[in-house]
Amino acid sequence: MRFTSSLLIKNYYKISSFAKINQFAIYCKFVKINYMIKILLVTRDNTKNKKFNRIFNKNGYEFSAMGDENLIYDFVSAEHPDIIIIDENFQNISKLNKKIKPVCENSIIIFIINSDRVDKELIKYANAFITDGMTDDLISSVINVNLRMKNSLEMLSNSNKDLADSLYRLNALYSTSSQFAGTLDKEKLIQYMIEGMDKALSFSLTCTLSFCHGNAPVLILNSLYELSDELITALKLRTILNYNSLFDGKIPLYEINVENLKVIKHVKYPAHRFTFTLFQYDNMFAPISLGDDFFGCVEIFKETSFTSEDSTCFQTIAQQVSLPLKSAALYQEIIETNIKLEKLERLKSEFISIVSHELRTPLTSIKNSLDILASGKCGEVTENSGKFLSMAMRNVQRLSGIINDLLDLSKIEAGKMDFNFVPTSINTVINFVKSALSEVAKSKGLTLIVNEARNLPETSADPQRLEQVLTNLVSNAIKFTPENKTITITSSLVNSKNININEYFKDTIKLTDGDYIQVCVEDEGIGLAEKDLLHAFDKFAQIENSLSRKAGGTGLGLPIAKQLLEAHHGAIWCNSELNKGSKFYFVIPVSSQD
Amino acid sequence: MKKILIVDDEQDIVESLKFVLETEDYTCYCAYNGEDGLRLAKEIMPDLIILDIMMPKINGYKISRLLKFDAKYKNIPILMVTARSQEEDKLIGEETGADEYITKPFELEEVVKKVKEYLK
Repeated sequence: MRFTSSLLIKNYYKISSFAKINQFAIYCKFVKINYMIKILLVTRDNTKNKKFNRIFNKNGYEFSAMGDENLIYDFVSAEHPDIIIIDENFQNISKLNKKIKPVCENSIIIFIINSDRVDKELIKYANAFITDGMTDDLISSVINVNLRMKNSLEMLSNSNKDLADSLYRLNALYSTSSQFAGTLDKEKLIQYMIEGMDKALSFSLTCTLSFCHGNAPVLILNSLYELSDELITALKLRTILNYNSLFDGKIPLYEINVENLKVIKHVKYPAHRFTFTLFQYDNMFAPISLGDDFFGCVEIFKETSFTSEDSTCFQTIAQQVSLPLKSAALYQEIIETNIKLEKLERLKSEFISIVSHELRTPLTSIKNSLDILASGKCGEVTENSGKFLSMAMRNVQRLSGIINDLLDLSKIEAGKMDFNFVPTSINTVINFVKSALSEVAKSKGLTLIVNEARNLPETSADPQRLEQVLTNLVSNAIKFTPENKTITITSSLVNSKNININEYFKDTIKLTDGDYIQVCVEDEGIGLAEKDLLHAFDKFAQIENSLSRKAGGTGLGLPIAKQLLEAHHGAIWCNSELNKGSKFYFVIPVSSQD
Repeated sequence: MKKILIVDDEQDIVESLKFVLETEDYTCYCAYNGEDGLRLAKEIMPDLIILDIMMPKINGYKISRLLKFDAKYKNIPILMVTARSQEEDKLIGEETGADEYITKPFELEEVVKKVKEYLK
């Protein structure tokens, strides 16, 4: 019911304002139809008086004649005659002209002259001249021509005024929309909207309900004069009713009541005060929304009537501000999401780092205890207890490896990994890894072969990190290759044009032109299924793979290798076929690192 | 018999270090926080200190700095032990004058080897 009544109130104002405009138009038309053309004759000559009386004493004219200089001024200023006909013989004609000119700017002044000779002084004031000898018809036609000219001039002047008004409004709209385009600050956009409306419509008061000032709705009152507390409460109520009516009886987006509605007030002339008669002012109301996004609503009051142009202008500004508000809302959302994501990423890194460090301490205690027990210093180690002790030690080792991998990864991702770039020979790295792992390979019945290219140039790299990468690749090969097979490590010099990267990795690897050192680790192991190939370098990709678990992998070795090589401006990829073995390749540029 | 001071808030680690070092015929003194560690170091004048970094009250860096900048104690070798492995930690450790830097989880054998080296 409340909504309906509010609508009624609103509509009443709307109808009354239009009625006012229409009444005014009807009144003007009526007056225009019955308008009498006012003619004043200034002369003391009775003959002339009679003659002009004869011509103009008929329908459509209101003819007056005067000879008293003192009365003429008062008459002209009160009556504003359309035409003033002045007799040249009237005494002190210059003085009279000067005196009446300021009050009869819109009147046509015609002089009656005695001969064809015209006094130069008179030309300054005259619109036309008639001579004594002219016939009645000729005089009539001179008067009519001048009347028509006067009407045309008036129309032109009115059109000019309208044009100037439109131009001013257009300018206001233009500058407002430029302001809208210049910011993504929602509060500023609302402020620009109000300023734009003030420029284009010069209101007495605007009530803007804004959802763009923080989390709670705010009522912004821009008023010419001071508003009493009672009036502010009334305006709050009215705005809430207007707002609720927008939802057409449905539950509004946000429940607002008078108590929780914050008010921001800007008063131009605080010395004066608005009264409740404000509600008899003309008003316009518009929502500020775009599709389902609602940013607020605005109501505007003015003492004089709004025209239909005003209404269009008002609606345009309210609509225009919605689009940048929507962009601003989206922009804000993106920023907030970004901040959340960054925080999450940081938390993740910190979490991994803290957890890893915390895990290391108890792990040290377990390891130490196992070492002491295995050393036999606490008593003899039987065959069975030895078996279980080494099982425990193996798993401690594995756990320690996982923690190191996690720490490495979190360091790389946080950009905190330190690299020590020095001139490095890849063959030295390969031989180091070979000597470190050949025993392990041998114990599994595998042969480890190195095919190194001779005269490879040295390259700027961190040898320890390259060892880490290669150790990982060779360890994987050892893990996944059955007995009596061979693992081959090959080094070579290649050019970016000749590097053969398979289709799975082609799109993700971008190498700059130049020479690269390539290392290939080839095994005759179980290989990778096609669907797993692409995810081989994803974090934790293999952790769910039962085989990987059985082999003791962490699933982090390859992603770490990938990141380490990327830090060297290199790349890693693999060719593999299920049950036929894999070939893991990595390249690093020969040119020096910066 | 050479005296070794072990300072670590992790009792289990102190216990295992003490066990292996005692089997190597060293006399071990233990402290479980930085303050006790510093007091004990000044009291007993150990031949070597095994020092954890992250500890309550006074951390290992500070203890190392206080001892290494004191002419009376500066010749005592300090082996720093930490669960952190960041390179910058190592740098700070070196700046504070520690002689050796060992990352957890460490091999007991490795610690014993280092101790023997310093106490030759």
